[in-house]
Parts: sequence; C-alpha cells; structure tokens
Amino acid sequence: MSAEIVERVLAFIAAFVVGGTAIFQLKNELPARGLDASVTKVLLGLMIVGCVFAVLASVRVLGG
Amino acid sequence: MHATPVVHTDHSDHIHPPPEGFIRKYVFSTDHKVIAFQYLAVGIFFLMIAGSFAELIRVQLWNPKGTFLSFSTYNEMFTMHGTVGVWLVVIPLVTGALGNFIMPLQIGARDVAFPWLNMLSFWLFPVAGLILFSSFIFGLPSAGWTEYPPISLQYVGTAFWCLAIITIGISSTLTGLNFTATVVKMRAPGMTWTRMPLFTWATFATALVNMIATVALSAALLALFLDTVFHVPFFEADKGGAPVMYQHMFWFYSHPAVYIFILPAFGVISEVLPVFCRRTIFGYKMIAFSSLAIAILGFAVWAHHMFPSGIAPWLQLPFMIVTYAIGIPTGLKVFSWLATLWGGRIQFSTPMLYALAFLITFTFGGITGIFLAAVPADLHEHGSYFVVGHFHYVVAGGSVIGFLAAVTFWFPKATGRMLHEGLGKLGFWLFVIGLTGTFLPMHWLGLEGLPRRYASYEYFLARYPDVVFWNRVETVSSFFMAASVAILVINMIWSIRRGRASGINPWGARTLEWTISSPPPYYNFKKIPTVFGRPYDYSEPLPYRNLDNDVDAYPAPMPAPRPNPSLGGR
Amino acid sequence: MSALNSPLEAVEARYLDVDPVYAETRDIRLLGFVMALGADCVLFSSFIFAYLYLRTASPAWPPFVGGHQLPRLDTAFAALNSMVLFGSGVTMHYALENWKHLKKQAFNGWLAATIVLGILFLLGQGHEYLSAQMTWQGSSFGASFFTLTGMHGFHVLVGVCYLIVLMIQSNRGVYTGSKYFGLTAGTLYWHFVDVIWVFLFFLFYLW
Repeated sequence: MSAEIVERVLAFIAAFVVGGTAIFQLKNELPARGLDASVTKVLLGLMIVGCVFAVLASVRVLGG
Repeated sequence: MHATPVVHTDHSDHIHPPPEGFIRKYVFSTDHKVIAFQYLAVGIFFLMIAGSFAELIRVQLWNPKGTFLSFSTYNEMFTMHGTVGVWLVVIPLVTGALGNFIMPLQIGARDVAFPWLNMLSFWLFPVAGLILFSSFIFGLPSAGWTEYPPISLQYVGTAFWCLAIITIGISSTLTGLNFTATVVKMRAPGMTWTRMPLFTWATFATALVNMIATVALSAALLALFLDTVFHVPFFEADKGGAPVMYQHMFWFYSHPAVYIFILPAFGVISEVLPVFCRRTIFGYKMIAFSSLAIAILGFAVWAHHMFPSGIAPWLQLPFMIVTYAIGIPTGLKVFSWLATLWGGRIQFSTPMLYALAFLITFTFGGITGIFLAAVPADLHEHGSYFVVGHFHYVVAGGSVIGFLAAVTFWFPKATGRMLHEGLGKLGFWLFVIGLTGTFLPMHWLGLEGLPRRYASYEYFLARYPDVVFWNRVETVSSFFMAASVAILVINMIWSIRRGRASGINPWGARTLEWTISSPPPYYNFKKIPTVFGRPYDYSEPLPYRNLDNDVDAYPAPMPAPRPNPSLGGR
Repeated sequence: MSALNSPLEAVEARYLDVDPVYAETRDIRLLGFVMALGADCVLFSSFIFAYLYLRTASPAWPPFVGGHQLPRLDTAFAALNSMVLFGSGVTMHYALENWKHLKKQAFNGWLAATIVLGILFLLGQGHEYLSAQMTWQGSSFGASFFTLTGMHGFHVLVGVCYLIVLMIQSNRGVYTGSKYFGLTAGTLYWHFVDVIWVFLFFLFYLW
C-alpha cells in the first residue's frame, strides 16, 4: 500500500464526511439572517465546492 | 436606496469623558479632528519637501545641459518628487486631513467608526516617510515613482521604497475601511443616502476605492520587494518572470489612485459652489452617483498607462473605450456645477476663487486626458512632457486647488478664526499664475517630442530651439507656486492667533458642521440632530431638528469685510 | 426575528433589542471585519493574477529549469491536507454553534479540534515545502507557488494563534452568551482562510 493510495483513500472518505456535514450545516444556516450568517453561508458553500474538488482529485479525474 | 435603519437612542448620555494630558490630547489622540490636524501638518511638511525636489529639478532644467545636479541625483529627484507627492502629500491630505475632519461632522457623528484604527492609520504615515528617506544611506529610489522592473531591481533604494509605500498603503486601506463603515453605519437619524452632503458622498466613493485598490498596490510592491531582495523571479524574464506584469499590477492600483486624489476635490467643489452663489446645487443625484460611477469605472482603465508597452491591440481597444467613457460622469459633474453657478449671486471669496479656478484647470487637464486616451495619439505622447503637463493640471490644478479651497473654506470651522482674506487672494493668484506658467508649456513641448525624466535636453535644441525659453518660463513660474504655499502656511499660522473670530457659520453654509461651534467641542454634537431634507436648498429653512445651538433657519453669510482704503477701497 | 437557529440567538436578539448601543457597535465591527476580509481577498487575487499571467505566458508548465521540466505537484498529499483544513472549518462551525447553545464543554472540544487540525495542516504544508522539487528563486513556478501558499500559510498561522487566544479568553469568561463578537470574527476568519485554500488547491494542483 503506497503512501499515495492511502492518501487518496483517506482524502476520498474525508471529503464525503466533511462535505456531507458541511452541507448539513449549510442547510441549517439557510434561514438565518444578518451579515455574518450570509457570509458564513457563502463560505460554507465554497468549502463544499472544495470538498468536491478533493473527491475528484482523489480519483484522478482532476489533477496529476 | 432605502434608509439604513438607524437605532433611535438618545445619544446625549453616550459622550465619553474628555481625554486627559498632552499626550492623549495631541499626540496619541483618537479624536478625528486632532488626527486631521496631524495629517495636515505632516502632509504640508512633505508638500514642502516634494516641492523642494521639484524646484531642484526645475533649476537643473534651466540650462539644456544643466550641471546643477548629477544625472543620477536628477533621477532620484524626480522619483522622490513623484513618490512623496503621490503618497505622502496628496492622498494623506485629501483623505486623512479633509476626510477625517469634515465627514464625521457632516453626517452628525461623534467620531469615525474605528477611532483607534484612525490613530494607527495616522501614525503609519510619518513612519512610512522615515522608511522612505532612510534609503538615503544606500541611495534614494531612482527609477521613477513607478519603479518599473527590470531597472528597479538593480537598486537597494527600491526595497526601501517598497516597504515605505506598503506602510502608507496599510494606512490608506485602514482609512478607507474606517470611512466606509462610518458613512454606512453612523449617519444621523433621518439622513438617508440621498440627504447626505456631497463631500460625504465623495469621501464614501474615495474610501471604497482606497480600501480595494490599495491592497493591490501592496501586492505589486511585495512582489517587487521579493524580487529585488530575495530574487524571487516575478519580473525577471530569464527565469520565467514578466516585467510587463508589474505594470499591470502597479497600474491596477495607480489608476484608481488618481480617483482617490480627485474625488474628494470634486466633493469640496460641490460644497463650496452652492454657498458662494446662494443657490442649491444642480443635479445632486447626478453628482452623487457619478462619484460612484467614476470609482467603479476607474478600475477598468489601467492599461491606458501601458499602450506602448507591447500589449496586444485587442487589449488596447477596450481600455481606450472605457477611458473615454469615464469622461462622461466627470463631464456630468462639470456641467452640473456650471448650472449651479448660472443665475447665482456669486461672492468672490478665496474658497470660491479656488473653486472657479478648479473648473477651468481641472477641465483643461481632463480634456488633455481624453487626448491621451486615444491609442494612436498616446503612442506619440506617452513618456513625453505632454503627459507631465496633463497629470500636473489634474493633480495640481485639480486635487491641490480643491484642497486649497477646502482649507480656506473649513479653516474657520476648525480653528474659530478667519484666514486673512488679502493674503488668501494673493496666494490664490500666485498659485494659478504659477500653475499656468509651469505646466501649460509642457503640453506643446511634449507634442514636439520632448521626453520626460531626462536630466538634459541639449540634443533637442536643434529640433526645437524655443525649448530653452519655455523651460525657463516653467522654472520661474514654479517659484510662484512655491511662494503661494509659503504664503498659505504663513496665513494659517498668523490667523490662528490674530484672525477675526469666525462664529459658528461665517459663510452661511447649510451642512451640519456649520451648526456647531467653531472649533467644535471634542464630542462634536451634544445632541445628535435629526435630518429631514437635503442641505443645499437656500429657499428652505435648515432641514434639521434637535440642534445644539440656536442657529438661523435661513443662514446668511457674514457681511463682507470693510473696504481697506490703503488698498483702494472706499 | 422570525427564523432562529438556536435559543442563544433568541437571547442575543433580545439583548440586542435591550441594548441597542451594543447592537450598533457589534454591527459596525462586523461590517468592518467583513470589509477587512474583502481587502484580504484583493491581496490574494492580485497574486493569483500574477500566477495566471506567468503560467499562461510560459511556453511550458511546469516550466523547464536547467534543461529539465519540473515535475507536477503531489495531488494526493495535497488532497488529504486540504481535507484536514476543510475539516477544521466544519469543526469551527460546530464550536460556534455550541457556544450559541451555551454548551461550553462541547465548544472547547470542537475549538481544540479546530486548532489541532490547523496545526496539522501547517505541518503538512511544511512537508510539502521540504519535498518540493522547485525552489522559490529558481522559476516562476516556485515564485508563484511558494509566495501564494506561503501567504496563505501565514494567514493560517495567524488564525491558529487567534484561535488559541479565543480558547483562553472564552475560558476566562470574556465572552458571554449574548456578547461573543470575537468568536464570530474568528469563525469568519477561519472560513475565509479555508476558502482561499479551495482556490489555491485548484489552481496549483488540479489545473
């Protein structure tokens, strides 16, 4: 088991766990109002995009 | 825009106790008015330094092959004149001095949003100056105020220059953030966006530009610093870097920077004109929104400074078009001001003289900018004295004249004393005559092809023999401007002690700062007033409730000073 | 206020109604902080512009240094390290949520987890730097990579220090159930640092 495979598998799993949790957090945050809530929603959304990137990277769809 | 909801609390019990001790009151003060004076003092000090460098340049250019300065010293002089002038004079004076003093008073606030940050912003200013001038040990920066690589990479002075300008950049960014938050959140109850005075609109637009653009400058200079000191190859072509990239990064800030210079001056003109023609400002919304339009469009024109640098023609075209377009909101302002004057009862006080001169000199400078916007014309004019003439007309004939109008207009409010009117008028005429003599000839010299930043023009004599005469006209005229600044400083110092008492509202103006005492108490307003209209309508009573002082509903200007028989008056 | 996420927001809301002076101060400070984050965005955007410019102007990417083309960066390791950082964003969000629900113990736990993950990320970046084949001074690749990720890493370091300060301050009782602006600011800052990494991860490793 090369280090690379371990890294990819861990990243893949973590992306789903973290991304899923983030989606759940974002859903809960949606009705909240105010500047800090709006900024949090945008940043959480972008972080979820980051998790998607990590999934795609771990299966070599994106990246080297 | 709908009114920002403002909490209606009785703020009269929210006055902090006054600061105690000399240090807290005058050195490390968080009071925006004290900070404004500090910016004014340090800014005028650097103005005299930048001006002295300019005079050294002008003396060198008296002769076609001057020997007054060595060529490398000459390079240092024009570099430092530009660097100090842009970052240590104009920006601190129009944002730090004018914005700090006037804007919180105009919106009915007791201070800016983050007073401690304001104090930090000020103190970074002299620190930046110290860093810049400490480069003297190794050699002052000498690649122009723009410090393009690869030439700038060869000098140690560049590293100091980067650090100094990053420091003043942090100061500027924090000021922009502070003012934006202040205008958005701290206006008096009832002051909706479209009831704000136009100087506040101008300060708001300037603060937005300041906050966003200055960080881009810090990035460019950080990259230049890393390349100069640590040889990180951002701009070294043999390691994959790109010198032209610096120009993009630098001008992305430095073009919006010129709007930082001029927007507050526009605001000042919008304040001064209605007062001295006793008419409401024409086109309030047009002027207000054009400030925002200029601020936004200003981010889309930077490459017009780079037309001859090898950028692709398909890139030159959109920048040319947007540069033309940005003349439109500016033109809207100029026409609105002219319409304000039309039919007014004009009083030729010193601030009004500066405002009227502004209309002529700034418009002239703006028009030469339109000449430069055309790519084919710019390919000829770039790097020539035409550009130098253009930007000095808009900076000296625009920002500086606007600044002088502001100083002469608000000095009574800040100190409780009137400036000496005779000295003020003398200073005005010296400045305007000096400006014309110094910068007008640069236009035809530039069109004839005289390049800028050259320590000697002897080779040009064969082509255009009059170059010597015109350079000498410029040199003599520059001393008129120097005299004007000296007279202003003398006037201010004299008038603080011996000027006539001004009272609350010597000019009969209608914005909120003219309803409190001169100078204002440290807390500005004992009771925060309520606003229910725009400030410029002379046919209406003052649109405020709950004022501290009992002021006239229809402010009238002070009667003109008694004519002086020894000056010919009767 | 209609929709609220937690009983504490109701407490905060009632407090904001009761103490409108605090409400104004908190509002102003929040606006200032968000604008400061916006300015920080411009800083990163400028260097990202530089990276895009240098990369598109380069005849080959990764560029050739000394006759050999530099290898691409290690995507697998970076993906894992990215998940460490994104995970810390989720834990930070939970920390703030627990504070709002007045659950101090859980708050401390989640905040500690965030700090640990942040430090792990920095260690990961350290490993990345030590095993990199290009140098800072050697090519535009090294110049843009180390400068951008270095600036980001510096922001993470500052963030970790600030979170440690928050941990100390909250345990000393500086923040209450209704006045906790420092925690809000810290959370926003941490999410911001997270999102910058999303862009850098894509630009350097995935493109």
